[in-house]
Amino acid sequence: MHINANITLTRPSGFSLEVAVAIKPTGVTALYGPSGSGKSTLLKLLAGLERGSATDQINISSDGDIWQDARHFVPPHKRHVGFVFQQPQLFPHLDVRGNLDYASRRAGSQQSPPLNQVCDWLGINHLLTASPTKLSGGEAQRVAIARVLLSGARCLLMDEPLGSVDHVARLQILPYIDRLRRLLDIPIVYVSHGLDEITYLADEVYMLEQGRIKAAGTVFELASSLTLNSQEGDAAAAVVEARVEYHDQSFGLTCLRLGGQSIHVSLCSQPPGTDIRLRIPARDVSLALQAPVQTSILNVLEGVVSELEPLSTNPSLLVRVQVGGQYILSRITRKSLLQLDLQPGRAVYVQIKTVALLSDLTQQVTISP
Amino acid sequence: MPMDPDIQALWITLQLALTTTLLLMLVGTPLAWWLARTKSLGRVILEPIVALPIVLPPTVLGFYLLLAMAPDGLLGQWWFSLTGERLAFTFNALVIGSIFYSLPFYVQPLQVAFENIQQGLLDAAATLGAGPTDRFFSVVVPLSRRGFITAICLAFAHTVGEFGIVLMIGGNIPGETRVLSIALFDHVESLQYAAAHRLALGLLIFSFALLALVYGLNRHWQMRLAARH
Repeated sequence: MHINANITLTRPSGFSLEVAVAIKPTGVTALYGPSGSGKSTLLKLLAGLERGSATDQINISSDGDIWQDARHFVPPHKRHVGFVFQQPQLFPHLDVRGNLDYASRRAGSQQSPPLNQVCDWLGINHLLTASPTKLSGGEAQRVAIARVLLSGARCLLMDEPLGSVDHVARLQILPYIDRLRRLLDIPIVYVSHGLDEITYLADEVYMLEQGRIKAAGTVFELASSLTLNSQEGDAAAAVVEARVEYHDQSFGLTCLRLGGQSIHVSLCSQPPGTDIRLRIPARDVSLALQAPVQTSILNVLEGVVSELEPLSTNPSLLVRVQVGGQYILSRITRKSLLQLDLQPGRAVYVQIKTVALLSDLTQQVTISP
Repeated sequence: MPMDPDIQALWITLQLALTTTLLLMLVGTPLAWWLARTKSLGRVILEPIVALPIVLPPTVLGFYLLLAMAPDGLLGQWWFSLTGERLAFTFNALVIGSIFYSLPFYVQPLQVAFENIQQGLLDAAATLGAGPTDRFFSVVVPLSRRGFITAICLAFAHTVGEFGIVLMIGGNIPGETRVLSIALFDHVESLQYAAAHRLALGLLIFSFALLALVYGLNRHWQMRLAARH
């Protein structure tokens, strides 16, 4: 399901939203921004839970069907969009099974995966006879996600689904959502103000600020964007995706492939062939013009300088290096810049000191020399 | 063999209370829902109108209803054009009067119950594919069960107990508008205290039993809910 939305909306409070988004038919599109940026409003408009006022210009369509324009409005129950709210919103008068059946009974002609499969995916088999009020925050949210999947939803809209659960439950739920991303061939629109969730899950990202789109692109493009990282200081980091190649038990390392080159991280649990995401802090990446010899640094990749942060009074600057179609950030000093005479297009060796596995948030694995 | 006049009055009373309650469920439920959910200014006007019978002497309401139901009154004319019958001093007049009189007792508990339902649950139901009517019966009704029981019992009991309005618009016609409260009044006026006791005590026990049932049910559900939490 494609969703296209073109929205100009003004609230009496003075808040305005002016955005155009195109949701791709698979993968996770994230709406990211601080609270009040309009990301939840946008999501509710997509679902039909908000419809704006007569003076607003709202055009939303899906696969050629008009959901909303000046003359049409398709109510939420006819859009087949699954909505996961910040609160689980489980019906308190039904048990878990009753909540799930509520959804499947209304799926109509829409395809949805079988109940036992959904329960397996989300690990809620043992909760079926429980009352929703007895569940922990994390369990309740997993049931809510299962309920949405059973409703025959053709896309999944998630409005800060981890906003109401504690840190432990967040780490518990994220892998389930990640799994759905890989299992389902329907689009997921994910609203969050948590950068860790976005870099972990998202494929496409729309960054919203005060009702406008500040930046849009793939999560890898944005995560390595110089403008977005310039204010981050030591927290500046790029995100890349690499494929598990093999596990080296004797050294306790896992070898990954990144654009035809190898990268080593601490032994991880994902089987070979899995794509996993890595977070590489800019301050832990150094650049060299010659291949380093006899170094203790395990991860040295070949790349090409693509972009330099404009010079400022800062003693250091960020350099964006392209490595096999992806981008890595490096923080170097102005002095090094002059000594190496770095310019866009120059081939460099990227030495990476630490790598954090994003796909293993529960145990942020890092590797140091 | 003619029916015992008190039994006849009891029969009329039950018919009146039952008809009124059923009609209130049809009219009052959407009204309570609208009042609970609307943000429109109409609420500011409609809410006090609904509540008026709580503070007004029933005779005031009865007086205006009588004027309206008179053959030359608006309601009376309309009724005549509709049915070809007069309205004042009939059972139908009592039903209409009772609906107005018992409206707040039905609408208010229900409105409170509706207001307590989180919008998020309704939004969830909508995105799961439930249309407005489906949402009402599958989410709103089960979650406002206590409100419904209270509203129904109060409306019923309150209609059984009404006097002033009945006297104004119904009069005292045996088999047509003579309800229990009027019969009781008659007994007292004619100093038939034994008969008056029979009716008064009956009404007292009935009212007590009904209220005990409502409170009992509410407590039962509250405890069941608490046990779930």
